[in-house]
Amino acid sequence: MGKIRVEGLKKSYGANQVLKGIDMQVKQGEVVCVIGPSGSGKSTFLRCINRLEDITEGKVIVDDQDLNDPKTDINKARENIGMVFQHFNLFPHFSVLKNIMFAPMELGKMNAKEARDTAMKLLARVGLADKADAFPSQLSGGQKQRVAIARALAMNPDVMLFDEPTSALDPEMVGEVLGVMKDLAREGMTMMIVTHEMGFAREVADRVIFMDGGYIIEDGTPEDVFGNPKNERTISFLQKVL
Amino acid sequence: MKSIKLSLFSLTLLLLMVTGLSGLAGGAAAEPNSGKTYVIGTDITFAPFEFQDVNGKYVGIDMDLMEAIAKDQNFKYEIKPLGFNAAVQALESNQVDGVIAGMSITDERKQKFDFSEPYFESGVVMAVGINNDTVKSYDDLKGKKVAVKTGTEGYTFAKSIASKYGFTIVPFDDSSQMYEDVKTGNSVACFEDYPVLRYVANQSKDLKFVTPKEAGASYGFAVGKGKNKELLEKFNTGLANLKASGEYDRIKEKYLGEDAAVSVKQSRGELILGSIQPLLVGLGKTLLYTIVSLFFAFILGLIFGFMKVGQNRFLRGVATVFVDLFRGIPLIVLALFIYFGIPQALGFTMPLFLAAILTLSLNAGAYVTEIIRGGIQSIDRGQMEAARSLGLPYRKAMIKIIIPQAIRVMVPAFINQLVITLKDTSILSAIGLVELTQSGKIIIARTYESFTIWAEVAIMYLIVITLLTKLSGYLEGRVRRG
Repeated sequence: MGKIRVEGLKKSYGANQVLKGIDMQVKQGEVVCVIGPSGSGKSTFLRCINRLEDITEGKVIVDDQDLNDPKTDINKARENIGMVFQHFNLFPHFSVLKNIMFAPMELGKMNAKEARDTAMKLLARVGLADKADAFPSQLSGGQKQRVAIARALAMNPDVMLFDEPTSALDPEMVGEVLGVMKDLAREGMTMMIVTHEMGFAREVADRVIFMDGGYIIEDGTPEDVFGNPKNERTISFLQKVL
Repeated sequence: MKSIKLSLFSLTLLLLMVTGLSGLAGGAAAEPNSGKTYVIGTDITFAPFEFQDVNGKYVGIDMDLMEAIAKDQNFKYEIKPLGFNAAVQALESNQVDGVIAGMSITDERKQKFDFSEPYFESGVVMAVGINNDTVKSYDDLKGKKVAVKTGTEGYTFAKSIASKYGFTIVPFDDSSQMYEDVKTGNSVACFEDYPVLRYVANQSKDLKFVTPKEAGASYGFAVGKGKNKELLEKFNTGLANLKASGEYDRIKEKYLGEDAAVSVKQSRGELILGSIQPLLVGLGKTLLYTIVSLFFAFILGLIFGFMKVGQNRFLRGVATVFVDLFRGIPLIVLALFIYFGIPQALGFTMPLFLAAILTLSLNAGAYVTEIIRGGIQSIDRGQMEAARSLGLPYRKAMIKIIIPQAIRVMVPAFINQLVITLKDTSILSAIGLVELTQSGKIIIARTYESFTIWAEVAIMYLIVITLLTKLSGYLEGRVRRG
């Protein structure tokens, strides 16, 4: 039984169909990287998995909960699905510490002391214990993204979604963020990562999915997809990026 | 939905409370008695029939007559100086019980009002500037401009001969503005009821008569058609008693006789000193109306602003209609519609204070809605997405994440709206609201000192608005620094 199950997923914006029928599963503890050219629908696909996008057709099931079932409490479901965004989206009016403590406290998961301890532990884990009292505007891009990961982890989710987490970073900062993500993968977190970092995908992913034109074109181990691509479009894409 | 209903309910409640309190305050001024207190509308400037004396008390032939008749017939009344047009409209829409404002009895007016026995024989006359030697008869008006006050007999007469003698009519809403236009020479002459012009000529020594007065109409006290019969009867009986006792002639003589008191010409210093206090009271009212209506505008803005950014299509539509409607209607039209139109259509009396607050609140509310919508939409979508992805419900995310950031964007726009609403209160002088501008008009009606008083009024607005603008700059700076 998959941790994440996607069945016949279609998504349109008006007349423009972005996702044209996607079926896939992600197992507990699996790390799946989604690659593909821009406009292929990979970010939209990822955003359907915590229902930031309402879907047009099909099913998205996370932890046996159908996210688009009206009976599902989407807020409760989202507590279990962490998300990290390309542009970090830290709350600029909160300190780093408050950014991380905010959701667990606001949603009654922890009291102030527990939230603070958790936040400090997470900050230490992403190497930013000394930045607890700083504000987001005082941080570099890499630091911001590491805080954003800590913020998502504070809710203790089962699944983590990453939407191009390093695309907005200066090259010298990509490593520090990927390092944190690698640690997370090693600890057994179920992860879906939309990324352009092919080296990272090859090294960390259990599976790589190549998307184009609203479809999944290839789905396999990194060795298969990178080493022995079967589809013409995969080959042409990889030639361009590798 | 529930919270919106609740907010609307509390808004209505608050409005009722505020207006109720002001009503109480007004009621407390009149002596508590069992009989009805009639509300009598009048002009703010129609010397010698009604005008404010130096102490701010309304005097004049109409006022003295009303007082004497009420005493004779033993009834209570309250004078509402609304301005002539506003008073007539207020009578039409039953906002007042009667009007005494040097109103000529005409067939047209008889269709809408019931008039008392005539209490004054009038007639239109032309006046020209004291130094004007070119205009000696109506023939000399060819190609010139002539000032008149809208809705008066003078206006009707001037209009009837305008094409014959080839002059242009310049209409004013206010007598003193009309005289001012003649004194400054913009217009060469004005047409007005004889007693009025005679009084002005006596007082100011700036006008003279070169033609005889036209045979004219008579003034009457008016009530709504078929309404307030007992008040009309009391007026007629009282008037007859006054005429019999000689009191009537004494009142007339007091204002129009050869030895009628001429008010002492004040020096500019005295004028400024004497006018500062009533103008400051007017400024206080302006600030009060501004603050109270912005308070309600803010509540309206919050309700409709959030409807506009919300996910419900129907509520978004409702909010859009609200904004388009009240942003699209000029403030003065809205004021006239609310104060005169709605009560006439639905047959009830609307307190002036309520009408003024409603008008300003709805107008500013539309703009505040847009400020709030703009502020919220200026916050990056990613903020809401990040909050929702953590499991926060929409409302919590809005309150804790979006609004605190949006407020920083909104502060300068709010201060700007404050300045605009403060200036807009002056427009409500059109429905007789006594605020700073109307206070100025009333003093000018007595003193005919346009330059000094308007300069004072302008400076008062300037000082307050400059202070607000400085405050805005300061707050903006603080917001920018975080």
